Amino acid sequence: MTTLQAALSGALVGGMFAVMAAGLSLTWGMLRVINLAHFGLILVGAYLTFELATSWGIDPILTIVLTVPLMFLVGAGLQWAFDRLGVEEFASLLVSFGLLIIVMQTVSNVWSADFQRMPGDVNPYATQSVSLGRFVFPAPTLIAFVFAVVIVVTADQVLRRTFAGRALRAFAEDRAVASAFGIDHRRLGMVLAGLSAASAAVAGMLFALGNAVTPSTPFEWIGVVFAVVILGGIGQVGGVLLAGVLVGTLSAVVSATWSPALSPLVLFSAIILALLFRPYGLLTVRGAR
Amino acid sequence: MLEVRDLEAWYLQAQALWGVDLSVADGEVVCLVGPNGAGKSTLVKAIAGLHRSTRGTIAVDGVDVARVAAHRVGDHGVALVPEGRRVFARMSVHDNLVLGAYRRGARSGLDAGLARVHELFPRLAERSAQLAGSLSGGEQQMLAIGRALLAQPRLLLMDEPSLGLAPVVVDEVFDAIRTINADGVSVLLVEQDVERALEVSARGYVLAEGRIVASGSAAELTGSALVRRSVLGL
Repeated sequence: MTTLQAALSGALVGGMFAVMAAGLSLTWGMLRVINLAHFGLILVGAYLTFELATSWGIDPILTIVLTVPLMFLVGAGLQWAFDRLGVEEFASLLVSFGLLIIVMQTVSNVWSADFQRMPGDVNPYATQSVSLGRFVFPAPTLIAFVFAVVIVVTADQVLRRTFAGRALRAFAEDRAVASAFGIDHRRLGMVLAGLSAASAAVAGMLFALGNAVTPSTPFEWIGVVFAVVILGGIGQVGGVLLAGVLVGTLSAVVSATWSPALSPLVLFSAIILALLFRPYGLLTVRGAR
Repeated sequence: MLEVRDLEAWYLQAQALWGVDLSVADGEVVCLVGPNGAGKSTLVKAIAGLHRSTRGTIAVDGVDVARVAAHRVGDHGVALVPEGRRVFARMSVHDNLVLGAYRRGARSGLDAGLARVHELFPRLAERSAQLAGSLSGGEQQMLAIGRALLAQPRLLLMDEPSLGLAPVVVDEVFDAIRTINADGVSVLLVEQDVERALEVSARGYVLAEGRIVASGSAAELTGSALVRRSVLGL
């Protein structure tokens, strides 16, 4: 009973990992940019939600009306700079790591290095929970899961069915031929990076909804989120949700039945095993790259 | 349709094309033949906007596209069937074709274009949902041609469309070139198979070591000793 409850709660928590991983996976797969600064954007998103809710009294979920457009511009601008400076795949890892450190330091200067949590009067969601039969789920994780499903399904459908989605997939496969068919990689890249950053704003809001945040929190995300991206298959947004749920479930079950300290050990062992059999992600049988 | 004037091209310091003049009239099929490494692909890529280290003019209907960004060249009526087919392997046959109509000017013609390509290559209709990477070489070539047709070109650049294909498939490809041309599309055809290329072409150019060394009507080139020596090695 408690194990099952833990598994289901873990699956929902996996939804938040999926939101964090979706943008990272898409920009990595499509633009060949491994953007560690994505975690910085999530962090800023979390702090902006905290600030807008506590100082301005805006409903925490509604803060994304402001943070999403702002982050879109930041992400598009960042991609513009990467493109102009000709930053390649692995150089992008180093450059964006530097950016992440700068962002974390700046956040620390603005909001201090202490834990920040939205008080109960501005964040009514933190203390609510939803009962489904014998199971109880905290509202923040349930909300995060709903957002994850909406974001992943929308992104997947856009990639499958729209001109822009097909253009992105074509661009990821063969840039030169894609450009011969009218695909403007600069513009498309900026739009994708902008949307990825916008999803980081949502991820930050979802995190702030149920957790306290400090400037060093990104280091807690990086390992798990990278695992979700790689397990889901780089660039495959549908795989991110599946991988997020699996990772969330596994770590919650290990924490509940053995010990929270063992959770990362078991989790990453399982991921290494999974990648031995499916090196290009759970949903990809043949080579994805 | 196409007027290339005094075109030179480089790969870093190495010059690949020297003073190339070439033209394709409206509704004409023109072939470009020559030994490996002569610069045929470089010339095609330069016209398509994929090789930009050039000097000289590439006029399409009087507009110089030599400095136009690659993704804008299609708007001037040029489409490319690249060497080695280069279909988008992880996308379905249908999505490859739809992508051909990506540029704004071509989208309204998507449905009619799909119908035309399916008529030309019925096998693409049968394999519509299949991943392009799972097609045979001949089917991939048909897809590469179909994708280019969906861009609604007035000039089709075809780089080695028969390369590595079984003879029966090569027949299909050359039949398709005739049909496409009969629809009013001009074709610049780069081919290894010189005799087949001259059969479908009105005129031809011979490129060797980056220079045009011979040109003329298909009949003239078919009998030319120079062509036989420089291209066929006979």
